[in-house]
Amino acid sequence: MTSSSQVIVVGTGVVGSVIAEHCLDAGLEVLMIEAGPRVSRAQIVENYRNLPLGAKPDATASYPPADWAPHPFHGLEHLESTGPNKYDPTYIRYAGGSTWHWAGTSWRLTPEDMQLRSRYGVGRDWAFDYETIDPYYNMTERKLGICGPADPADQWPVRTRSMPYPMPHLPLSQGERKFTEVMRDKLGLRNVPVAQARNSGMPYDDRPACCANNNCVPVCPVGAKYDAATSLNRLEAKGATILENSVVYRVETGEGNRIVAVHYYDRDKTSHRVTGEHFVIACNGVETPRLMLMSADDRNPNGLANSSDQVGRNMMDHPQQGYTFTTVEPYWLGAGPVVNSGIMETSQGDFRADHAAVYFRLNNFARNRDIAKRAMSSGKVGRALDEEIRRLTATSLNVVAAFEMLPDPNNRLTLSAQKDWLGLPRPSVYWDVGDYVRRSSAEYSNPLAQRIAEAVGATDFKPASPEKFSTSKHIMGGTIMGNDPATSVVDRHSRTHDHANLYLPGGGAMASTACGNSTITMTAMAFMAAEALVSEAKGA
Amino acid sequence: MTMKTALAFFALSASMAAAQTFPDDLVERGRYVATASDCVACHTGPEDKPFGGNHRIASPVGDIWAGNITPSTTHGIGNYTEQQFADAVRRGIRADGANLYPAMPYTAFAKITDEDIHALYAYFMQGVAPIDEPSQQTTLEFPFNLRFSMIGWNLMFRDTAVHRDDPAKSAEWNRGAYLAEGPGHCSTCHTPRGMLMQEDGSLHLAGAQVGPWFAPNITSDKDAGIGSWQKDEIVAYLATGRAEGKSQAGGSMAEAVSHSFSKLTKDDLGAIATYIMDVPAIGGPARFGQGEAGNLTASFRGIESPDLSDPGKGAQIYSANCASCHGYDGQGTQDQYYPSLFHNSDTSGAGVNNFVAAVLNGVDRKTEEGHVFMPPFGTQPNAFNSLDDGQIALLANYAVAQFGDGQMTVAAEDVAMIRAGGPTSNMVRNVRILMAAAGVLVLIGTVVFLRRRKTA
Amino acid sequence: MNRRQLFLLGTAAMLANAMPSFTFAATQDIESRFMGASQLLVNHDLSPAVGARIAAFAQASYPNLGDMLDRITETAAARGASRVEDFFDAIPEGELRDFAFWVISAWYTGSSSGDRDATLFTYEEALLYQPTIDMVPIPTFGFSAPNAWGNDLYPLTDLPRF
Repeated sequence: MTSSSQVIVVGTGVVGSVIAEHCLDAGLEVLMIEAGPRVSRAQIVENYRNLPLGAKPDATASYPPADWAPHPFHGLEHLESTGPNKYDPTYIRYAGGSTWHWAGTSWRLTPEDMQLRSRYGVGRDWAFDYETIDPYYNMTERKLGICGPADPADQWPVRTRSMPYPMPHLPLSQGERKFTEVMRDKLGLRNVPVAQARNSGMPYDDRPACCANNNCVPVCPVGAKYDAATSLNRLEAKGATILENSVVYRVETGEGNRIVAVHYYDRDKTSHRVTGEHFVIACNGVETPRLMLMSADDRNPNGLANSSDQVGRNMMDHPQQGYTFTTVEPYWLGAGPVVNSGIMETSQGDFRADHAAVYFRLNNFARNRDIAKRAMSSGKVGRALDEEIRRLTATSLNVVAAFEMLPDPNNRLTLSAQKDWLGLPRPSVYWDVGDYVRRSSAEYSNPLAQRIAEAVGATDFKPASPEKFSTSKHIMGGTIMGNDPATSVVDRHSRTHDHANLYLPGGGAMASTACGNSTITMTAMAFMAAEALVSEAKGA
Repeated sequence: MTMKTALAFFALSASMAAAQTFPDDLVERGRYVATASDCVACHTGPEDKPFGGNHRIASPVGDIWAGNITPSTTHGIGNYTEQQFADAVRRGIRADGANLYPAMPYTAFAKITDEDIHALYAYFMQGVAPIDEPSQQTTLEFPFNLRFSMIGWNLMFRDTAVHRDDPAKSAEWNRGAYLAEGPGHCSTCHTPRGMLMQEDGSLHLAGAQVGPWFAPNITSDKDAGIGSWQKDEIVAYLATGRAEGKSQAGGSMAEAVSHSFSKLTKDDLGAIATYIMDVPAIGGPARFGQGEAGNLTASFRGIESPDLSDPGKGAQIYSANCASCHGYDGQGTQDQYYPSLFHNSDTSGAGVNNFVAAVLNGVDRKTEEGHVFMPPFGTQPNAFNSLDDGQIALLANYAVAQFGDGQMTVAAEDVAMIRAGGPTSNMVRNVRILMAAAGVLVLIGTVVFLRRRKTA
Repeated sequence: MNRRQLFLLGTAAMLANAMPSFTFAATQDIESRFMGASQLLVNHDLSPAVGARIAAFAQASYPNLGDMLDRITETAAARGASRVEDFFDAIPEGELRDFAFWVISAWYTGSSSGDRDATLFTYEEALLYQPTIDMVPIPTFGFSAPNAWGNDLYPLTDLPRF
């Protein structure tokens, strides 16, 4: 049993894997510790196919949690939610992490997204500007294999790229093309191809090209989409040791408040201690702050890295409101990946001083499973039933409004009195999407959604309730980044202000959410952390 | 490299370039002959340095390393005269007099004309960048470590006749015969070999196991060969690596398509097709048109621990690992880019070995149509689903029964053999026995033969 | 993996096994009667293997299954009908009509109901995907060559041939 390593990475998701590989390539010794099991892609694909139709839309249903590594799952109590809104993110504790079921969407932040305080007087500014992170976005796009439009007219953000995408964008489905034309012609809005971590027209990174299985969420059956699970064999070939089914429950400090070891339970509840020189905790924005709080000791009575009292605070997400409507003309969504185009330009503007910006995502999921209930209860049989299924599938659209959210210290993750299978306190989150988001829903996104619906000829538009928001799986803020140790948890390298050899990279470090999915920014920050770690290790 | 040696090297290169300057069109012609001969496939290693050697060829007698054939004067063939070059290519004899192993297809290259050898030489001296790095040395077991042991083999099996046109045939047929039997060296893989690894002329192009892959019967037999193919199908197959509803190139044929055939002129591909369609038929089990769509998913779908017998287990492995591209019914995609597994040579007869090899190694093929890539299911870092020998045997048997001709069954040991790189031959043992029992006789025979030739 | 993999369901198989009173011959008989009625209710080629799975579930759920199957077959015969459009209105509303809808729904959705804990009979052969198979993939199954999708737009009225 490995009891020490130069670098210890807790978590095998995209952030942990990218940092581990960077360290391995620099010649460092790396041990990765994963709470959950390591499973084959084949198993997950068959899990999905075996689900009854009613469970198929649930992105985590194909990933039953191990007893010792619970995660949000239908019928299982893990994450407590209190407060006016329901906090219900999907994440999984499996080797490879939650990129298993991400859509692959890879929007970069804009320079404005990183300066909300100085530009609009709300939220926080980032610890650095866009030019600082730009090279790391380039590295991320190459590492993950992100395809995107070569034509600047189709790119987001609207600014000159310092490097091209490594692959061209994926073709749009019939419905996406038509939607793009209607948005342009009737509303003057740009519906642009999504930059996404998916192999477009060619193999990349020794993974095959996308063949339009339309199942990115919950799992890419062929590995054309990047997920961190695709990199684990390669990390081992480069010398990494990966411990699975090993739940880190305590991070131990020593002299000078440096981290000296982590403690984990194996699946038999036996505890082990592993020492190291550099520690990376990359367990996502819920489990990382939870672990920091669980690790409270005499030196750090409020939990590790928490002298600012900001660990677990500022929890953020992209609150969502979905619109499903029926058109008269056929659109035909479903060929290609499940998220393939969207309207991003509604995510910028001076209105951000008053209310949240929003991103309209045109989902490209094959519509059959969603219209099944309507078709089967239509009373039609025979050819009329087949025609009804064809009509509803072709004419049903699903557009999702994804909001940005401000960091609010009251949106806070704490340790519940309830315990999990190992006896560890469950995470509890107070959740209020905030008036900034509610105002946007009422004044900005609902009216915009109605115009979109009218433009496509929807016959049954219903506005979203300005009180009801669903949770995306974009967990941000709980270990927030900043230059001031009094108000933030980690510095620009995702290194904790309190512990010189402890890094908490990932969504938790993000100081603003903007509207685009967070993974590409998390990964760029992971590269920044990895560079800092390697230079520290080499200098030592 | 010190300044002094660098200068010396420069001087040497300059003097050589000055000594021999070939016209560009000759160099280009040589490039084409090199492409038709697919030199790059074997003489380029994983570091992707063209013609730098370091390419491992798994042979039944052990690993043979293809050498550096760049014009490097230190580690390549930069010092070869044209005669030495011709002897290496056509007779398997290095400039230092040592014998090459017949992994180098000099028995086929013997047919290359003097004009083409001249062009090839010009290309290798002037059109290829020198790589001053050594290639891995080949070290085989006794007696094959003794390169002179190839002298006897050459005496018995080498035909040194250069290609001559058959006046009874068309110019196109003759061009095809030249390309297929000479530079293209089809028979090197597609003709089965005898006890001493010599090509068995009586079974010319009738199909043979080469490492993990089976190079199938390409004679004109309608069922066992490719006699049922139209000429344009053969041309399309050579250009793209696939003939819809029939076959797809994997393994070394995928390499041959990627590096060689896809870059030949359509006229030359047509000529090869014309010749190949005229190769005398040799019968065997049918390879195409067998099987139909179907599945056994109802035996396990939605059941937590299904009680499955053999075909059901194989069907479950198929569903989990293969159906995402090849369809739950084995039907492939509607456009057949991902081919159906029925009407497919890989699920009938000895082609089943290729089914196993494709599962273990994946498929990698680049042509103008794009980069065809099937991921491997072995233990490679990019094998996201790693299947063991028993699972692949179950899978292959399901595929043969459901989609194929139901003839062959695959055992886990067969998969292990293909995983290890293909069957090892009994040749090591055979030759040692031969040497012990009849070595003296062979030696005497050789001496007599040589004397006769001398006196003749 | 662990006990929570319960969602992978074994209900149909377990129920079938828990009915020892059904002899093999009786099971075979009910399966073929179920297929006969199904082929009247649904205008697609139906898989007998999937039919056996649905029939096993129906046996456990509908005590008078055989009787209902016979009544559907007889209703069609009385009209001389072989297509559902030609006799469905003659199936009396109530229990029998509801059952007929259930059979159709089971074939189309591949599930015993729309609930998330329903029993799954088939995924890939659920008929829900067939009316759009020319335009939309069945999720998890590849649709076309890389980047070759999305080119043709077929009208709503051109149903694929089943």
